[in-house]
Amino acid sequence: MNDTLLEVSDLSKHFRSRWGLASALTGQGRVIPAVDGVSFYLKQNETVGLVGESGCGKTTVGRTVLRLTEPSGGRIVFGGRDITHLDRARLRPLRREMQMIFQDLDAGLNPKMRVRAILREALTVHERPGDAEIERRIRELLEQVNLKESKLANFPSELSGGEKRRVGIARVLAVRPRLIVADEPTSALDVSIQAQVVNLLRDLQKHLGLAYLFISHDLPVVELVSHKVAVMYLGRIVEMGLSETIAREPRHPYTRILWSSVAEKHTAETTTAKDIGGVFDFEQPTRGCRFAPRCPLYQQQGRPAVCTDPASEPPLRDVGNGQVVACHFA
Amino acid sequence: MLLSIENLRTYFYSRSRRAFVRSVDGASLSVGRGETLGVVGESGSGKTVAALSAAGLVAGSPGVIGGRIELKSRNLLDGIERYVKVEERDGRVMAAEKDERGWGRQVRRLMSGVRGKEIAMIFQNPRAALNPYSTVGAQLVETIRLHTNLKGKHEAKDKALHWLERVRIDSPRLRFDSYPFGMSGGMCQRAMIAMALCAEPSLLIADEPTTGLDATIQARIVELLRELKDGTGITTLLISHDISVIRRLADRVAVMYAGTVVQSGTASQVLRPRDSRQHPYTAALLASVPSAETIRAKSALQAIEGEVPDTTSVPRGCRFYGRCNRVTDAVRSRCANLEPPLSEIEPGHKLRCWLHAA
Repeated sequence: MNDTLLEVSDLSKHFRSRWGLASALTGQGRVIPAVDGVSFYLKQNETVGLVGESGCGKTTVGRTVLRLTEPSGGRIVFGGRDITHLDRARLRPLRREMQMIFQDLDAGLNPKMRVRAILREALTVHERPGDAEIERRIRELLEQVNLKESKLANFPSELSGGEKRRVGIARVLAVRPRLIVADEPTSALDVSIQAQVVNLLRDLQKHLGLAYLFISHDLPVVELVSHKVAVMYLGRIVEMGLSETIAREPRHPYTRILWSSVAEKHTAETTTAKDIGGVFDFEQPTRGCRFAPRCPLYQQQGRPAVCTDPASEPPLRDVGNGQVVACHFA
Repeated sequence: MLLSIENLRTYFYSRSRRAFVRSVDGASLSVGRGETLGVVGESGSGKTVAALSAAGLVAGSPGVIGGRIELKSRNLLDGIERYVKVEERDGRVMAAEKDERGWGRQVRRLMSGVRGKEIAMIFQNPRAALNPYSTVGAQLVETIRLHTNLKGKHEAKDKALHWLERVRIDSPRLRFDSYPFGMSGGMCQRAMIAMALCAEPSLLIADEPTTGLDATIQARIVELLRELKDGTGITTLLISHDISVIRRLADRVAVMYAGTVVQSGTASQVLRPRDSRQHPYTAALLASVPSAETIRAKSALQAIEGEVPDTTSVPRGCRFYGRCNRVTDAVRSRCANLEPPLSEIEPGHKLRCWLHAA
């Protein structure tokens, strides 16, 4: 039996920036490849972590996978069906199976509705259960997200950050999804509350067999919750593998720098993070490998021509043990 | 001590709740010359408001209502008792009346020549703190001419370039003429740090200097602050919710919870993992971030149950009592009814917990 829930191949999303005289005259904007040839798959009961700096396209991947943003190219197969070009009407029944948790705690919580009404709405979007059934489901949801029944009468503004997050999760669970894209689910929360939410998401996965696409810049948390981790840089996956391999034996120089910046903070030992210069910029695309201008390995190797050869952007190459790396030298 | 804050109370009146938000409620902090004091706590614990009080930047009513703030033996709250009338019951402030205009004038008198010159601040969002209409260079030159004895344009410019280099902004001559919007978040934070330090202040208040920056940039800003600390010996009050940042930079650490300091001591005393001589809150906070062992075993994180307390209704006893997992039957009734005192359990190491009360 094939339990692959989501398969994304060669996904790309280009945004057009219409700004400046040239684009006004020609009617053509500069194309910003926010996501460029991303492929991965997700099984039931599995979590894939997506990490990278802000602007690397990780949120765009999450949104495009759910068709909240239209893809520019590639294929998205969900539950064995190609949903890349499915029209709205046919997508609608599938929407309930794939949900998103947004970074913003207030996203999806109508400020004028009480918690009970918010959950009731979510329960009745796709089906028409009776009142008794709704009550039963609301109680079940509260239990699942560990929220007190007394909160049902509250408005979102009367809830704390952790409670808002729980209501947001309950709302998503109401439609019984199979896939949840969690975009920075903990970053707006206090440290002591973050751990509660991480535990909650993992418990829910255990009990409901959910698949998560877990987007976060908090590397230790990603490492903890994910089975596989994909590292993105400038719209591309540069390395992907089992989370412990990515964290402990990273091959791509960018992954190494990313993880060493965490290790450095924890162990007070100095590493290479300070050597990495510059900031990436979509608007000045580099030739060849996109990471070359910031790459310490490129410098060490004596700036080999292959790294900046326009014809050879390094492809993801299998290095065994389920790990793939996009680097000529790693 | 270069800066000492004693029993500071900064309250805000919430009209909708008809109660005081006790943002800072009897906090004491002190920073020695050349030292970095790290203040950790969650949002709402009062760490930022305590720092703003020290810089005389509290906006809101009534604001600072009591305590002492001394910078280089100069009382920055001099005469506050003349402007505030407080009604206390059992050591708790029930009502406060403040002549805010009078106190505002007094603050301007007290802080002239202190704010910007003696105390400089860097904030979480550097782009918001920089003037978008003025180049980075112009802002630096202005600060230098205002606060140091370099009054000439050219010498001020040389000094500004020196500071841009010092904070490792690449091609400083080019950046001198850049506007903040043309620079990345990390660059803006560097410019902000340069601007704070170019006045050669005695105290730097760094409020969440790395929050909101990318992981790799964060590491580099921490590295820079470390380097500047070793190079200039500047006294720093570092505020962060990120324990790893505090661990990297602080000599001493104070942990704030619900408006008070619950633990203070050297960084190694406070941040020791799994030590019994710790405040239960600090211990829980340290345990709630994924450690190497948790990740390896893929085990559940040790979450702190409950929520960060609402400071409009501070409980009678220990502020952490409702969430504490270390409370024993021997101390339970005291925890529930009496606020524990801050007691010294080893030289320089203080705890506010009945389990450790003398």
